[in-house]
Amino acid sequence: MAQSNTQHHQSGATPAGNRPSEGWDEWFDRHSRTFFIAPAVTFILIFAIVPTFYSIVFALSRVKFSPDGLQFRFVWFQNFLKQFVGNEQTHFLGRLEGLSAFAWLFNIIVIAAVLYWLYRSVRNGASWVGMVGRLISAAMAIAISLLLGATLLSGNPWGTLLTTLFYVVVGCALQFVIGTGLAFLCSQPISGKNFFRVIFFIPLMITPLGVGYAFKMILDITKGPFQPFWEFIGLRDWAWSTDAWAARWFVVIGDSWQWIPFIFICMLAALENVPKDHVEAAQVDGASSVQIFRDIIWPQIVPVAATVILIRMIEAFKIVDLPNIMTSGGPGIATESMSLHSFFIWRANDYGMSAAVAYMLLLVTVVVCASFFNYVVLKQLRSSHA
Amino acid sequence: MSFRKVLTAALVAGTALCGTTFAASAGEFDGVTVNILTRPGPVIAGKLAERGKEFEKATGAKIVVSEVPFAEIFQKIQTDWTTGTNSIDVGVFAAGWGVELASAGLLEDLSPYVAKDAKLNPDDIAPYFREFGQKIGGKTMLLMVDGDFQMVYYRKDILDKNGLTAPKTWDDYLAIAKKIHGSDMNGDGQADYGSCIFKKRNAQSYFAIQTMAAGLIQTQGTAQGFHFDNATMKPIIKNDAWKKAFEMYKETGKYGPPEELNMDIGDTRGLFKAGRCGILIEWGDPGPMSIEKDAGAIKDKLYAVSGLGWKEVLDRKTGKLVPVTKENAPSSVDGINYAPFAAFGGWAGAVNGKADAKKKAASYAFLSYMNQAAQSNIDVTIGWTGYNAYRISQLKDTTPWVAAGFSKEAAENYLGAINGALANPNMASDFKIPGAQSYSGVVLDRELARYLAGEITVDEALANIEAGWEEITEDFGRDNQIKAQGLALGTGK
Amino acid sequence: MTNATYKLEKSGRTFLERLFEPPAIGKMSPVANVTAYAILLFWSAFVLFPIYWVVITAFKDAQTVNEGPYFIPFVDFEPTLAAWRTQFLSDPFCDFYAIGRQIVLLAYNSAAFIVSPVVSLAPMEPQICKVYLAYTNSLVISIVSTALCIVIGSMAAYALARIQYKPKFGNIVMFVILTLVSIVASTYAGVHWLASASVALALFFLLARAFGKHFKGQLGNGDILFWIISQRILPPVVVVIPVYMMFQAVGMIDTHFALILVYAVANLPIVVWLMHDFFAGLPIELEESAQLDGATRFGIFWEIVLPLTRPGLAAVTLLTLILNWNEYIFAVFLSTSKAQTMPIMVAAKNAGERGILWWEMCAIIVVMIIPVIIMAIILQRFIARGVLLGAVKG
Repeated sequence: MAQSNTQHHQSGATPAGNRPSEGWDEWFDRHSRTFFIAPAVTFILIFAIVPTFYSIVFALSRVKFSPDGLQFRFVWFQNFLKQFVGNEQTHFLGRLEGLSAFAWLFNIIVIAAVLYWLYRSVRNGASWVGMVGRLISAAMAIAISLLLGATLLSGNPWGTLLTTLFYVVVGCALQFVIGTGLAFLCSQPISGKNFFRVIFFIPLMITPLGVGYAFKMILDITKGPFQPFWEFIGLRDWAWSTDAWAARWFVVIGDSWQWIPFIFICMLAALENVPKDHVEAAQVDGASSVQIFRDIIWPQIVPVAATVILIRMIEAFKIVDLPNIMTSGGPGIATESMSLHSFFIWRANDYGMSAAVAYMLLLVTVVVCASFFNYVVLKQLRSSHA
Repeated sequence: MSFRKVLTAALVAGTALCGTTFAASAGEFDGVTVNILTRPGPVIAGKLAERGKEFEKATGAKIVVSEVPFAEIFQKIQTDWTTGTNSIDVGVFAAGWGVELASAGLLEDLSPYVAKDAKLNPDDIAPYFREFGQKIGGKTMLLMVDGDFQMVYYRKDILDKNGLTAPKTWDDYLAIAKKIHGSDMNGDGQADYGSCIFKKRNAQSYFAIQTMAAGLIQTQGTAQGFHFDNATMKPIIKNDAWKKAFEMYKETGKYGPPEELNMDIGDTRGLFKAGRCGILIEWGDPGPMSIEKDAGAIKDKLYAVSGLGWKEVLDRKTGKLVPVTKENAPSSVDGINYAPFAAFGGWAGAVNGKADAKKKAASYAFLSYMNQAAQSNIDVTIGWTGYNAYRISQLKDTTPWVAAGFSKEAAENYLGAINGALANPNMASDFKIPGAQSYSGVVLDRELARYLAGEITVDEALANIEAGWEEITEDFGRDNQIKAQGLALGTGK
Repeated sequence: MTNATYKLEKSGRTFLERLFEPPAIGKMSPVANVTAYAILLFWSAFVLFPIYWVVITAFKDAQTVNEGPYFIPFVDFEPTLAAWRTQFLSDPFCDFYAIGRQIVLLAYNSAAFIVSPVVSLAPMEPQICKVYLAYTNSLVISIVSTALCIVIGSMAAYALARIQYKPKFGNIVMFVILTLVSIVASTYAGVHWLASASVALALFFLLARAFGKHFKGQLGNGDILFWIISQRILPPVVVVIPVYMMFQAVGMIDTHFALILVYAVANLPIVVWLMHDFFAGLPIELEESAQLDGATRFGIFWEIVLPLTRPGLAAVTLLTLILNWNEYIFAVFLSTSKAQTMPIMVAAKNAGERGILWWEMCAIIVVMIIPVIIMAIILQRFIARGVLLGAVKG
């Protein structure tokens, strides 16, 4: 789309006039704004957009196999409705009965807070586009809090949607804090830091399948390395994998083990790009290291931090290998993420429903990530520039 | 610069040389390449490749065995054959998957080939595998390379020590597990486990529950089935029989390893090979496995029974359990109804209906070669091949088994157990209709896992399964499913 | 900072002050130093232990794994090379001749790629030496796709950081509708995909030419960026079948090229996003002065901008390489035998009803990590050197 747009480029190196004897390099330079972005956009259009649209067709159909290829039967939103009101409801959303008083209280507080936030943005004169965005975010926030109230706070098991959010929120927070902390340490003048850098990076190098299997092996309570430890603290017969919360936490630990290096290396690169003289000037002025980090380093690395969190969130929403290998989504459905949910159905050849679950994941991811980006990252950026 | 050029030229020349190795032999299938897709070796695939080389020498057909991870085989074959890629000529997969592919019209009918084949001797193949494994709707669509069904194994030494006799019913199973749980079974001083069952989700758990349930529900022979009312495809699931099976299945967990809910078959095999399990549900493999090098703790101590039965069976009209009689369960023995469950159905080869005639002929010839007694009777006694017995002649004679390392007594017990199951006209068949994986691997497996984890009650689980199964049936079309079920159980045409 | 200056500056301090305050600018206090080392060492242990366990498991066999846990080779268990032997030596058809052939083919294939990425690779015997073949494939596919991805991605990222794009909202809506219509036509109505796609494309260009000027709503670079990153949101299982069908339609299943393209596209969003931030963080003055000197935009990008962002570039390259090296789901679907990659070999060691062959799986994981570690060490130097360069220029 960008290449079809006929704007004049604003800062070309050669004058815009068309000289008669224009060499190919000049011509190339004149159109550089197109050439720079066209390959990426074309590639994405062909190999990402077309399949994505194609899978909308899957999501709205029942798909069958025949010798002449796949056969599609259009069923409107049946695949989606099933997740909310049909047979899959307890699987996707969790069990939603018997709301506790605490859940009511929680929901009322959340709804009040969201409404207040909306009211404030109306008073601050948000544009109508901004208001639509806020309404969508607000709706999602209320829906998630209702779900949280109906399941967790009322003692009901929850479904794959909330499990996914648990992995994303807890996992990303943990990984960002630890990853940035380690990057900060490694950007300090410490001898041997190059050694640590390489070491810390290793987990990311292992194929995610391999990480899943490695953690399955290490956490095995009968023949894994921690068996003597479990026995020592008297938990020989305690199986983490049969306890919903313990299993979820161990999945988060495995996920963090693998992905902290990603945050680590990106934040390290960002920290290395912070001009040393600014920091040293502050040190000369006697600023404490906390002050230096908060006032000088942080504002410089915020853009990278925001990007890194966003990318990590997007990847975390798709978490599939670890729960699949470590617990197969068990006990029950306790560790099953939406991506795994979609994967299981896909494996049973139900492409329509699998695509529908994935689109729900897409919806949640886009709303959560866009909200995070607009209301947290941009705010942070503005305040750090102020 | 010039050096680099010379090097490149040399490399290219070398490559060309390497590429031009010609097959030396001449035969009826010269120049034909058969592409086989199966699971990663050495299990199943290893022997296919090895025999493929022999076959190439004899006939000139080149056998190329491609391997993809177990979980992806079926989808790969299905996509390859439906989208017109057709890069695979032969799929070697679970016999149970055949119906789904056959009802989509993807498989070559092998009956004409069988009719002309002098060496195959189908009468030697055990009736269940010949009639229900290889045939779909009366036509031979697959050729077995491996026979699979679930049996129960127990530690003879431990049972003897505790004054217990071999189990006959599932109640015995539970009683034995309860009695011996917590005793030391391999002499390492640690408490071991009464019962070991793979209860991990999305693994093999849904096979074990069917092994337990089949005998409660199926009484009239294989053609009766035990999942659906064949005339209407209404699920037979919300009843006391499944409830009892679910409850007993959960109760075995009390006498099992603490992390049983997260154990797949690999984990339980590790445990019983180390001598840590008293009684267990398994396929045919533990027999040959018990003589492997790392299974010293169980060598000649692991005995098999062809399947356990029940003293009660389901009255399909009332949904209640009634005592077994000769009338309601014709094949029952001493008031116990047995229904050995042909879980998974064994590995079998099928030929792509869209391959060209020459390839089809070569493909069939190779599958037949694998299946013929001359080859398979040797292959099934070797543990690493992953092939279990499916021919009558393989089960008659204990000599090759003793030669392989069994004691005479253990070999007799093992073969006896298999024979007992195969001779049973009430053998229970796995899901073999379109959506099989959704019925069992998704719905049944998930609800069972949730029940085991304590998320839902048994009644909720059964209600969810019924609703889920009905939905799948409706989705594929009830009439189609009734027809497919008929094909699968040999009652339709 | 030398010892002498340190004494000169800090001679008047008490012991406690010396403990908690940095001895000089750009150094750390002793307490901070010790704490930092403690944290780093603890984390190293946390990171390394699972890897240690994987490595020693590669030297165990069924017995030492199942009876486990055994911790230290030679001390509490006797290491064995059994797993390595079955993996790399036991294939009866994979003799020295075959291995040599694979190596020659690897060299030939790499050379062919340098000449032209579209050239079809010399057929390696998919049946024998599976692990060697997969290793070769993994190397070729991940390196080429990473190179492609980095070049395309960083160009786009630079453009988005420095040039204002204003795609028309109306054009985009039009494009979306036309794409959807053509897909629906080819799935439900049985129109050939080539026909529907070319008609849709032609229509789009015609309509964009005709009405493009009248559309008012415009989007900015931020929207393009979010659009690009949103391409990574959908889980790969959903697009794997459509992608399979696309490549099947052009007969490219089980080719290296298909995987290279898919990997390059799958990781473009990450490259674009991360590189965009590095480019945006550069001071614009350098480029402006180069522009005044008459440098072309591509020249500026190549000679000034890229060297300046070398740490970022190295980090992103490494990351992309790793993601490509480890990808599983597309690999398993787009390859049957000839283009199989290493992650498939890892998954293959979960032998279903035979259990997981831990020792063999670990051997493969170990073999898979080695080239990445070498890459990391090489690129890590670039990261450090880039910082030095930045310090000199900044």
